[in-house]
Amino acid sequence: MSDNWIKVTALDEIPDDDVIGVSVEGRQIALYKYEGEVFATDNVCTHGQALLSDGFLEDGEIECPLHQGRFCIKSGKAMCDPLTEDVRTYDTRVDGEEVLLLIG
Amino acid sequence: MSNETHIPMRPVWDQPDTSRIPFKVYTDEQTHQKELEKLFYQNHWCYVGLEAEIPEHGDFKRTVIGERSVIMVRGADGEINVVENVCAHRGMRFCRKKHGNAKEFVCPYHQWNYDLKGNLQGVPFRRGVKQDGQVKGGMPKDFKPADHGLTQLRVAQRGGVVFATFDQEAESFEDFVGPEMLHYFDRMFNGRKLKLLGYNKQRIPGNWKLMMENIKDPYHPGLLHTWFVTFGLWRADNRSELKMDKHHRHAAMISTRGEGGKNAQTTGVSSFKEEMKLHDPRFLDVEVEPWWNGPTAVMMTLFPSVILQQQVNSVSTRHIQPNGHDSFDFVWTHFGYEDDTEEMTERRLRQANLFGPAGFVSADDGEVIEFSQEGFEQKPFHRSLAELGGREIGDTDHMVSETLIRGMYEYWRKQMED
Amino acid sequence: MNMEIYLQLTQFYQEYAANVDAAEWDSWIEMFTEDCTYRIQARENHERNLPMAALSLEGKGMLKDRIYGITETIFHDPYMQNHVVSAPRIKSLTPELIDCEANYAVFRTKNDGIAQVFNVGRYIDRIRNTPDGLKIESRICVFDNDMILNSLIYPI
Repeated sequence: MSDNWIKVTALDEIPDDDVIGVSVEGRQIALYKYEGEVFATDNVCTHGQALLSDGFLEDGEIECPLHQGRFCIKSGKAMCDPLTEDVRTYDTRVDGEEVLLLIG
Repeated sequence: MSNETHIPMRPVWDQPDTSRIPFKVYTDEQTHQKELEKLFYQNHWCYVGLEAEIPEHGDFKRTVIGERSVIMVRGADGEINVVENVCAHRGMRFCRKKHGNAKEFVCPYHQWNYDLKGNLQGVPFRRGVKQDGQVKGGMPKDFKPADHGLTQLRVAQRGGVVFATFDQEAESFEDFVGPEMLHYFDRMFNGRKLKLLGYNKQRIPGNWKLMMENIKDPYHPGLLHTWFVTFGLWRADNRSELKMDKHHRHAAMISTRGEGGKNAQTTGVSSFKEEMKLHDPRFLDVEVEPWWNGPTAVMMTLFPSVILQQQVNSVSTRHIQPNGHDSFDFVWTHFGYEDDTEEMTERRLRQANLFGPAGFVSADDGEVIEFSQEGFEQKPFHRSLAELGGREIGDTDHMVSETLIRGMYEYWRKQMED
Repeated sequence: MNMEIYLQLTQFYQEYAANVDAAEWDSWIEMFTEDCTYRIQARENHERNLPMAALSLEGKGMLKDRIYGITETIFHDPYMQNHVVSAPRIKSLTPELIDCEANYAVFRTKNDGIAQVFNVGRYIDRIRNTPDGLKIESRICVFDNDMILNSLIYPI
């Protein structure tokens, strides 16, 4: 359980300062590359029926395409209305050219 | 005019005063549209509901002002907001539930999303979609959500009753009601919390003003409502007063039930049947309440949207909801007070059998309004008479007058003819 | 289920409909127990547990007063009623008491008019098996209409 690191994608699959969506063991995950670091959250918004990977990454926050709610990609914190619930985050690790994700 | 039979284009008043009312004021669709604009949407505070209908944060009730659908909602901060039920995007009446609890409003068509004050929070794909490393479509760069909220109405609350207006310039609610009527308003809504008992709703095929007139007409109860007279509840010698605000638009009919019995003079038109007794006297099991301060019945018309009823222990608001010139929905909200005993609640519910669409003394009001409208429609060049008690307008200390109707039309003409 | 009771109940429902359609008010009153409840209530009130009803009568005395009111005092446009009542659904059954429901539709026809759907709903009933036959201990007519078409005079 403690080191359930899973390879999810190649590092160069994530464009710089942008977001992609991947599916990991049946979960929808959003992967962000921001200032050279990789972050991960659940991909489905906690508010509407939308994928955060269709949204816009700016200043370390992902803006949902549906209602412009913004989450901090590092902490998952909901930053503004209409969001009322934080989004779950995941630990990530880069191993060479691979991005790994810790699924708890 | 009454000898002519041509149908005028708009209401023609054949007197300088308002003692003769042209039928055209009830039959003309253009006049109706103008009334909605001038009397419901501008310059007036309209009834929307009771605070007790939406006790919890997020509780809402859908209702109308005039013919515009609005939502009364208690926001996350506990404040009551009233917003128009029309999406800022494509105009859809998005709220379909009559009541409920919501965290936000979402129009299902394109998921435009509003907070409970009506502010637009988000627009799907405002910034377009990402495709092949490019962003395509979306709203223009200068799109400002702050400019595209739901229409937010001004709200006034007093004694647990909620009123709203579309008119940002309208005078305050208190000035609108005026001190004369505020006195009777505060008598009924004196700060005690209200307890919702439920609704009665009827669709009456007649012009909405006829219901205002019905409650400004103390001439008819002893004549039309035979039930009142039969069981001694209405007597022509009841002590009574008719009062108006300074504009003559609102009114109160205040009466105090006489002692009754065989020695007192009753109305000569319908005879008081001394031998008639109810099989079950609980319909009229009246208990005097301290807040009455005397009067056993006060019927208030707050022009144009609501009637406030106290008939002994039965209290209700009656909301007038026009739909076209020849029909309105009449929504009764019965309530009690938080400190009512169980017996008092039972009493209010039992006495409610007198009122509403099946009521012993209300069912016939809807019927005569329907048949009045039929008469107006067949003879739109004619006019009705409201000359009882003279042609002038003023408060009285008796019930044999149509002064309140004349007063309402004096106000109506000032609003409609400028 | 006891078939005989079911047939009796079915017949009872149809007799009720026949009585109100024919304005046989004395017979209508006699279908109730002395301490009966008779209520005509909007579904909205019913489902929200709000006690208000368009008509709420307790005991045969109030039923009699209602009939006096509609025949002698309330002014209204004359109309005929026609009730279509579904087969009853028995929810619970003891030798003395039947809890049951049936759907109804009431058509109203005025003197110069055409039949219109006046009131549609469900009877929620408690029926007592007495030595004098079945009697209604409680009937709540829960109607779907949001609005009553102007006024409701006769029992449904």
